[in-house]
Amino acid sequence: MVLNRTFTIAVRIMRQLIRDRRTLALIVVVPVVVMTLIGLSFPERMVLDYIAPALLATIALFFSFLLTGISFLRERSQGTLERLMASPVSRLDIVVGYLLGFFIFALTQTLIIVLFTIYVLDVKYSGDLWQIFVFQIVIIAAAVNLGIFISTFARNEFQMVQFIPLIIFPQVFLCGVIWPVEQMPDYLQWLSKFLPLTYAVDGLRDIMLFGKSLINVGFELGMLVGFTVSVSILAAITLRRGAAS
Amino acid sequence: MLKESQDNAINASRVTFRYNNIKALDELSLEVPAGISFGLLGPNGAGKTTLIRLLVGLLKPKSGSVQILGQKPSRKTAHLIGYMPQLHSLYAELSVIQNLDFFARIYRMTDKIERAQRVEEVIRLVDMWHRRNDSIHKLSGGMKQRVSLACAIVHNPPLLFLDEPTVGLDPELRVTFWEHFTNLTKQGITIIISSHTMDDAAHCDRLAFMRDGKVIADGTPGELQQATGKPGATLEDAFLYFIHHENINGS
Repeated sequence: MVLNRTFTIAVRIMRQLIRDRRTLALIVVVPVVVMTLIGLSFPERMVLDYIAPALLATIALFFSFLLTGISFLRERSQGTLERLMASPVSRLDIVVGYLLGFFIFALTQTLIIVLFTIYVLDVKYSGDLWQIFVFQIVIIAAAVNLGIFISTFARNEFQMVQFIPLIIFPQVFLCGVIWPVEQMPDYLQWLSKFLPLTYAVDGLRDIMLFGKSLINVGFELGMLVGFTVSVSILAAITLRRGAAS
Repeated sequence: MLKESQDNAINASRVTFRYNNIKALDELSLEVPAGISFGLLGPNGAGKTTLIRLLVGLLKPKSGSVQILGQKPSRKTAHLIGYMPQLHSLYAELSVIQNLDFFARIYRMTDKIERAQRVEEVIRLVDMWHRRNDSIHKLSGGMKQRVSLACAIVHNPPLLFLDEPTVGLDPELRVTFWEHFTNLTKQGITIIISSHTMDDAAHCDRLAFMRDGKVIADGTPGELQQATGKPGATLEDAFLYFIHHENINGS
């Protein structure tokens, strides 16, 4: 991996998004609208306080996955990936470049949603704000890599759009967002152990509801980092296959 | 006569490649001397793009060997080649200058002033300087082709692969493109061009006629025309002549 090239790719992604003003506006507006609707739909404050950390984790995962997945697919469909793969950049340069490039936007998005949830929707939290952000950063990293990896299996936007419910919905229902994992049948509990949102929800809930520190949620954090590293390696491996087809 | 094989820009020997069960290249052998424009001519599905992808290192042959400038295509040889794929392959939201700057950086042009000069030089070369700050999606098809060519040559590669670069160009722009290509070969650059039009073929220094993953004939346009034995034969006649012979030999 060459840092210079990784940054070149990251800067290019940022430039692309900055020049696309409508997308930039949507990145900010859509999560706020979604969060507002969810917030207003809960009649019980207690329930909202309990579910808000899980929703923050889900939204971070969902939007980062979506943005990266579609963007990477475009890189392939417009032929620029082919040009890149014939150049001296390595596959790891591309994956890490994407991660860095999207990070700033995903982070801005998270910052807006977390602050909006806490200060506008008035959701109670007891942990440190900065620890919530650090945890969200790890969720975003996992989601960006997952987006790159999954986009390798899609040949066009239609296929990618169908991967979204496949990747996101099972996680929403199986990872403790709505009801506790412990209340599900054993085999589903076992399955949930392989899904990153399980650890994202557990960790963020522990921080926000019970005021735990990042060290206390070290296990969840470790599992998410492990997932991120594994998926980025898989993404780098499968990249060539995608470019050649 | 071809030069010694070590002077060749390209050596391909008995190369086979399959996409699942479909044979795209069938024991193909080819030698391309350095410093010329070389045309890969053939109908769609003849294996032209597959061959180019193998030569730029995007695909690996199932059997046989390929060499570019005496080396196996890999990431180490990537800076030696310029590649213009069939699609425009540009970042639609970025401007002309941002696209060029990006590819120049990717090809290790780290000196800022040198890079800016080279980027300006190639944009002027393809006559797009007046549109340098426009996003790619605002440009016409022909303009995109010009920018795509500029991106392929920005790092001064000695070997250039152009996959159907003249498709969709109007006749005037086609002539301009060929002027660029001729100028590049005068600088010692080897250009491999795939095409299915005989108009392109006539401009090349040498040609290979391809069909069903094989080279059925190669030589200068004049040699290929003469091989038909008919005075005044066109390249189209020559192509049909070789297809006819291939069919007889094959059956």
